Amino acid sequence: MERLPLLGTRVLDLSMVWAGPYGTRLLADMGAEVIKVESPGAWDMLRSLSLLPRETERAYNRSAFFNHYNRNKYGCAIDLARPRGRELALRLVALSDVVVENYRSDVLRRLGLTYEEMRAARPDVILVSMPSHGLSGPDAARTAYGTHMEQLGGLASLSGYADGPPQKSGISYGDPMAGATAAAAAIAALLYRRRTGRGQHIEVAQWEAFLPLVGEFFVEYSMTGREPPRRATRHASMAPHGAYPCQGDDAWIAIAVASDAEFAALCDAIGAPGLARDERFADVVSRHRHQDALDEIVSSWTRERSHREAADRLQAAGVAASPVLTIPDLLADPHLAERGFWEEVTHGEAGVWPMDGPAWRFSLTPPHVRLPAPCFAEHNDYVFRDLLGLREDEVAALEREGVTSRAPVAGQDE
Amino acid sequence: MSEGLLAELTILDLTEDAAGPFCTKLLADYGARVIKVERPGAGDPARRVGPFPDAARAGPSPDAGALFLYLNTSKEGITLDVTTSTGRLLLLDLVEHADALVEGFAPGHLEALGLGVEAIHRRNPRLLVTSVTAFGQSGPYADRRWSDLTAYASGGQMSLMGDAGRQPLMPAGYQASYQAGLHAFGATLAGLYSVGVIEAGQQIDIAAMECMAATLELYLPDFVYRQSDVLTKRRGNLTSATIGIVPCADGYLGLHTMPRNFPAFARLMDAEWMLEDERFRDARSRLIHNDEFLAVVYGWAAGVTREEAYRRSAEVRCPLAAVFSIPEVLQQPHLRERASFRDLDDPRAGRLTYPGPPFRPAEGGWELRPAPRLGEHNASAYGELLGLAPGDLVRLRATGVV
Repeated sequence: MERLPLLGTRVLDLSMVWAGPYGTRLLADMGAEVIKVESPGAWDMLRSLSLLPRETERAYNRSAFFNHYNRNKYGCAIDLARPRGRELALRLVALSDVVVENYRSDVLRRLGLTYEEMRAARPDVILVSMPSHGLSGPDAARTAYGTHMEQLGGLASLSGYADGPPQKSGISYGDPMAGATAAAAAIAALLYRRRTGRGQHIEVAQWEAFLPLVGEFFVEYSMTGREPPRRATRHASMAPHGAYPCQGDDAWIAIAVASDAEFAALCDAIGAPGLARDERFADVVSRHRHQDALDEIVSSWTRERSHREAADRLQAAGVAASPVLTIPDLLADPHLAERGFWEEVTHGEAGVWPMDGPAWRFSLTPPHVRLPAPCFAEHNDYVFRDLLGLREDEVAALEREGVTSRAPVAGQDE
Repeated sequence: MSEGLLAELTILDLTEDAAGPFCTKLLADYGARVIKVERPGAGDPARRVGPFPDAARAGPSPDAGALFLYLNTSKEGITLDVTTSTGRLLLLDLVEHADALVEGFAPGHLEALGLGVEAIHRRNPRLLVTSVTAFGQSGPYADRRWSDLTAYASGGQMSLMGDAGRQPLMPAGYQASYQAGLHAFGATLAGLYSVGVIEAGQQIDIAAMECMAATLELYLPDFVYRQSDVLTKRRGNLTSATIGIVPCADGYLGLHTMPRNFPAFARLMDAEWMLEDERFRDARSRLIHNDEFLAVVYGWAAGVTREEAYRRSAEVRCPLAAVFSIPEVLQQPHLRERASFRDLDDPRAGRLTYPGPPFRPAEGGWELRPAPRLGEHNASAYGELLGLAPGDLVRLRATGVV
């Protein structure tokens, strides 16, 4: 048996979309046995975001979005809204160390699956609830997506071009951050349980989980009483600091110069050693004041080279620089390739393609992709028969009654 | 105050700037004993990132910038020059008392000082060592110099942020570092759990670049699976008519609805007619008629204030956000009622406001204590852990070791 950090722990995963499933993917990568539960009529929305032609058969098993964030998990179908489904869920809770859910704050109560009810089935269970706004407070009934967190949390207001509106980041940034927070919370609770013998209910309000990512701005505001300025890609003390155009279509390099010595190195590298003696750029304060002129000079050098060549030249001189890597760049990147970041995954219905491997790298218990993401209801037999010990006729009856199913009810999210 | 959630842990923190300190702050606020080891004299460079406390209050404090005060709460601070032979021996003594060591030096730096993982494991075979850097401990970029900006550029997220045709952007703050730090926090906890399973310490290698490349939403999965680059381009503030930031009467709104939210979104905009309109019948037809959809959205948003839209969105159960400034976030009734922010009296800066716990355990506490002055805990930490007497510290100080 392979040694992995969380080997021997079981996670019942009631979460959907990105935040929760990203968190349980981290737990699954670490070796936990994660069992994802979807309802036949309310399956994970990511399955419908396959972007495949409409006539694609069983496209819900071929969504790359779903398949990336649910690898290393098992999957079964249970309608939790039915009494018999609830009962099955509680029997799975009894076999689980951790339960993760990201429903709206009132849903577990409606389902009869509160922490108290789970604890009756498993006294030391750890329940991680991750509603967007938390379980209490005037906004507790609201729902939100990951993009909303940077808007509610203040990050969007501080981001953007100097002359433009607040700017969204390129991803639903709140989701992976809430997921990573929830995964850490679950592991912290496992450590606590190992010490005390006690489980507990942990609340990850996604809005609150986002606030630490902008924490210094609240400290700054309380210290000075002034709203922090928006800086685009510029920096309070470093200059030059930003993205500069390179040869090619939409190719850029990021450069950050922290000291006079680094600035002198930059000037040498771009063939303009005299610049370091130019009084406009003599120290960081002057460079800051003359950033527009400086950026123009740096750009005129970067425009003549590819982003990789420019970064190599600057790095050789001791200047912090990196190409702004696009997604195609990342897949062709020599660093990630040498580190074995991309793993080829074979999925029974979706085929073979590369996937990012676990970013938590352990020297003695290296995690990797052990299992492709589950097809809908793929592990019904494992869950119902092997884990819960149901007989074949009992499983058949559950299917007849619609408590479970082998295929999702069509028509969702169209 | 209940005992901290992680109260049994002792962490040696050799990190500086933002990435590693964010990881160890999370550990410390949940009750781990985190001993931050700083270079004598200068300490963590983050101490000198402004703004600074008002000089009139407590005298000038150029070693207490807001970033440092934020990222180093609840830690003990000691000084130690690990490049000296005595400093090296003292660090190895401290290693015997710790569960984990977190560091963010250039790869090979500690090894060159005789403090590599092997040397550390000779003194404490169960010690976990977490390294938090931009590019990790191996590979062609391992020795690259980096800042938060250049790390962010390497992870793919920057290529997706900003307007098409303009320079790519990064979000405010230290988002590359914090993503690495948050992941290092979870990984360190998993590593500590594994020590009890495999009965040995090990090394964890966290690279900001990989943390970011692993969280490119559907854009990377779609590229590698369908081999189409259509979703790999920057799309400014509008991903589609249903996802983005749009101007309203007094600011900006954050829209994000999925197909299941379409009826609620139409009701929010008082545009129930859309539900009967063939052009908006299903997700595909709405995408085909994206510009017409967007015209409805812009028209509605222009006539509504953030407060009206946010209030009404709760009534019709449509996910929606207003773009809040930092002072506005602090004033949100929901966050105030939940005590999502905590005030803390800092001896240098007076009363400061910090975010509260990122997650709330029912058992095992979370608590903030002010970030340490440089070497503030030299006497207590060296005394308690290594049995050094005040006289020993005087001698070490004289030779520049602490």
